[in-house]
Amino acid sequence: MVSLLRNQKVRNALLQALYVGSLAATVLACVMIARRNLAEQGITSGFDFLFKSTGWDVNFSLLPATANDPNWWFFLIGIVNTLFLGTTGLVLATIVGTIVGLARTSSNELARLLGRTYVDIFRNIPLILQVFFWYALITHLPTPRAAHEAFGMLLTSRGLYVPVPNVGGTALAAAMLAVIAAIAFPVWLGRTPRLNQPFGERSTIQLASAAGALACAAILLAVGRLPDLPLLDFPALQGLNLKGGLRIPPEFSALAGAIAIYGGSYIAEIVRGGFKAVGKGQMEAALSLGLSPWRVFTQVRLPLALRAMLPILANQYVWLMKATTMGIAVGFTDFFMIVALTINHSGQTLEVIGILMAGFLAINLSLAAVFNRINKAIALKGNQLRG
Amino acid sequence: MDSTLPSGPAVHIEGLDKHYGSFHALRKINLSVDRGEKIVICGPSGSGKSTLIRCINRLEQHDGGRIAVLGTELNDDVGNIDGIGREVGMVFQHFNLFPHMTVLENCMIAPVIVRKRPRAEAETTARRFLEKVRIPEQAMKFPSQLSGGQQQRVAIARALCMQPQIMLFDEPTSTLDPEMIAEVLDVMVTLASEGMTMICVTHEMGFARRVADRVIFMDAGEIVEEAPPEAFFTSSRNERTRQFLSQVLGH
Amino acid sequence: MEIVVVAPPAPGRLEDLKRRFFATPLQTLLSLISLTIMALIVWKLLDWAVFSAVFTTTGGPEACQAAAGACWSVIAARWRIILFGLYPFEEQWRSALACVSVVVMTVLSCMPAFWTGRRIALVWGAGTGLYYVLMKGGVLGLPYVGEEAWGGLALTLFIFVTTCLIGFPLAICLALLRRSDLPWISRTTGLIIDGVRSLPLISILFTFAVVLPFALPQWLQGDKLYRVILGSALFFSAYQAEIVRGGMQGVPAGQEEAAMALGMSYWQRIGRILLPQAMRNALPATINQFVISFKETSLVVIVGFFEILASGNAAYGTGEWRFAYVEVYAFIAFIYFVFVFSLSRYGAYLERRMAVGER
Ligand SMILES: Nc1ncnc2c1ncn2[C@@H]1O[C@H](COP(=O)(O)OP(=O)(O)OP(=O)(O)O)[C@@H](O)[C@H]1O
Ligand SMILES: [Mg+2]
Repeated sequence: MVSLLRNQKVRNALLQALYVGSLAATVLACVMIARRNLAEQGITSGFDFLFKSTGWDVNFSLLPATANDPNWWFFLIGIVNTLFLGTTGLVLATIVGTIVGLARTSSNELARLLGRTYVDIFRNIPLILQVFFWYALITHLPTPRAAHEAFGMLLTSRGLYVPVPNVGGTALAAAMLAVIAAIAFPVWLGRTPRLNQPFGERSTIQLASAAGALACAAILLAVGRLPDLPLLDFPALQGLNLKGGLRIPPEFSALAGAIAIYGGSYIAEIVRGGFKAVGKGQMEAALSLGLSPWRVFTQVRLPLALRAMLPILANQYVWLMKATTMGIAVGFTDFFMIVALTINHSGQTLEVIGILMAGFLAINLSLAAVFNRINKAIALKGNQLRG
Repeated sequence: MDSTLPSGPAVHIEGLDKHYGSFHALRKINLSVDRGEKIVICGPSGSGKSTLIRCINRLEQHDGGRIAVLGTELNDDVGNIDGIGREVGMVFQHFNLFPHMTVLENCMIAPVIVRKRPRAEAETTARRFLEKVRIPEQAMKFPSQLSGGQQQRVAIARALCMQPQIMLFDEPTSTLDPEMIAEVLDVMVTLASEGMTMICVTHEMGFARRVADRVIFMDAGEIVEEAPPEAFFTSSRNERTRQFLSQVLGH
Repeated sequence: MEIVVVAPPAPGRLEDLKRRFFATPLQTLLSLISLTIMALIVWKLLDWAVFSAVFTTTGGPEACQAAAGACWSVIAARWRIILFGLYPFEEQWRSALACVSVVVMTVLSCMPAFWTGRRIALVWGAGTGLYYVLMKGGVLGLPYVGEEAWGGLALTLFIFVTTCLIGFPLAICLALLRRSDLPWISRTTGLIIDGVRSLPLISILFTFAVVLPFALPQWLQGDKLYRVILGSALFFSAYQAEIVRGGMQGVPAGQEEAAMALGMSYWQRIGRILLPQAMRNALPATINQFVISFKETSLVVIVGFFEILASGNAAYGTGEWRFAYVEVYAFIAFIYFVFVFSLSRYGAYLERRMAVGER
């Protein structure tokens, strides 16, 4: 027995069994205790509750929702809300970050100073404090009756009212797709290395296809237009309330705004780092080939910088996506808030926590998969082009 | 201390096998090294020289055959391995000095924490061995402040401070400039003349001629030839050995 | 060929300005835009925060609300609640002292003289112990104050410090387990680390605060505050473990082999050879992680703690100061800024210094 314990292989096996076993035992014990405690409160474990109606309502949803809908539908609503808020935040943050990041790398000292001040201030204040601040700011805006007006939009304590086109839902979606295609297709064309050219110059094809797609969008909008209404539906005061337009609730704008500003400060640093990673030699080489500064930027500097940024950017996006959980602080029904509310109402603690973990795992994994694809697509072939 | 250990060969290897995954790195190696004997191992790159001597101090675990060091078999028994590590010193190709410690601390740390020697005694020993490798004045410097030859001599001193009975050298001079090679080889020759048991992987054939009792030639994981230096260099019959020698010695 | 060096004429001030800001039309445009933005912001901010602001409490909230600029009187009236929460009024000096002890501890651990495992542990142990004794009392003639009365900045600092104190050793353990040779140990640990990293911190805090009591026997539940700290430490350690592991990967394999060849045991190799070098490699990323986790302590407001954000909300939320939320948030933001900015500057400085040292 003693000699067995001195045997290294036996020791290793024992150690592993002990480690994994004790972890598994802890988890198991917790689950068992939880099940017993819940059973005492009359809650039976299982996933039946998913198909029962919730009995409560959500304040923000892109999908139709009533208190009679089953729990699984609410989880879906939560995930859609999280993805919507996350994507909006990411896009805005990327725009802000790119502008500030370019300012930080610019050759102009004043622009650099401005960019740096921005980053230093907004990076060093916790996101949730910024969320609280914007939320307080918006909810302290005047009531609808005294609303601020700008460009047809109304700023009120009940949210931001923006004009929307009077167009049927499907047509609107189709038109949006067409606009995306108008941007994406020429870009894709520009990236395909070789093209048989029966139609003439590549740039002509790009222009033509973009114009075609945009025309499509316009036709779709015209066709799908609701009869007997002006093209744009402007919000306006009617009685004590605002009618028309689209209301963006304060919770959403506060969160999206805060994520854009805070995330923008991080992305600015990533952008700056990406440009710094591009070797001076490559730019000098490009300049010495007689390329114009603009072409050097678009054909050499930008693509190389993008490649350097992308992996870090992917991490940042995952982080920002998780930051949407701050919705609960101001009452935005994101996935996590739905989870918390469901636990409160149904008591199915264990199952719901499991769904929470699965949900975030799925979100993380799909984001990672998307970025891996992009990374692979633009990765330099071989190693010869490293700065 | 010597008297308490069983007599017999310093290292005894029988039918040693070693795989890396499916790659067969050592095939049925048989080798016995007596106390005080000096062995030089040479052979082409990838032939398994490093793997062999790393098996002797258990940096690699063999998966077939037996290795006995100073009469203790290296097997899965934890106690055996702990004991052996202290009696076998090793010098690496890349020195592997601890960069966050001074030269003196590099030499003192193992005696103090492994052999539990008092610090004062360990320091005296360390300074003595630094003297021996002819760099007593560098004791308070950090490794990064020394030349390659100096670093390798510190590495030798560090190994000697544990007062091992066997010293292993894995190509100690192969990354050094010629004049530094001489510095290091001088130290090794001195060490050999004092009767240390040494197993050296090296391509320094002059060194092999001067100090080796036996030269071992390995190829593809096998010991191809084993002979006293004189015979090895002048009258080897083996085709692979001769080809190797003509490459190392030049034409 | 002979090279003649002609010193360029020393540029005048005006020329210098021109070269730096107005060299090309594009530069000029950029400079003008930046200048306008800056001037506008600085002027508006100064006007709001200083020129038109009210600093005294004499007029009360009404006079303050009428003013065009900031109403700093809210801070003058409510700073105690923001910094100390609901801590008993006469004892708040203890809360202040406790904060000071934490700050001193942080400053000390930024000094290279304290960068050995033992000294750092000593400084942090002493700092946190002092904090605890001061806040909790019950000894040395200090009246007892329970955790439920702690709040404000003091609570924020406590959560941060204890998170690091528990999370850091845990991170090292996790990193070591993850790089273990034993496949089951490294795989299981990898699963734990990646699992925690894929979850948002809020969900972990919520689980520890609200859900865990269901799953633990009565005697193990402990106070909600300590459960939340544990959750936050777990989250911290999952991230920090990867940083430490990165640092370990930067240590050449030969270092451990050399230590092994000298007969050192596993713990001696880890403690004397691997960790000192790995922590050095990981230092900049570690400080960055501290910065992030300091900002993230603010999230405990969501599970119902009265830390600085919540006490800020309370400071303006009740009655007469309702309009002064901007000032309160600005004040809290400023406090965070001072801590976070100095820590991240320090991190950047270290990074630069180490980059130079490597050459
Ligand atoms: N850790 C390892 N994993 C897999 N294969 C290995 C490992 N270490 C060595 N090998 C392989 O084992 C063979 C023998 O390696 P070894 O280092 O012993 O050669 P060597 O004779 O010392 O060569 P060199 O003169 O180049 O140092 C080589 O083919 C090498 O590729
Ligand atoms: Mg080798």
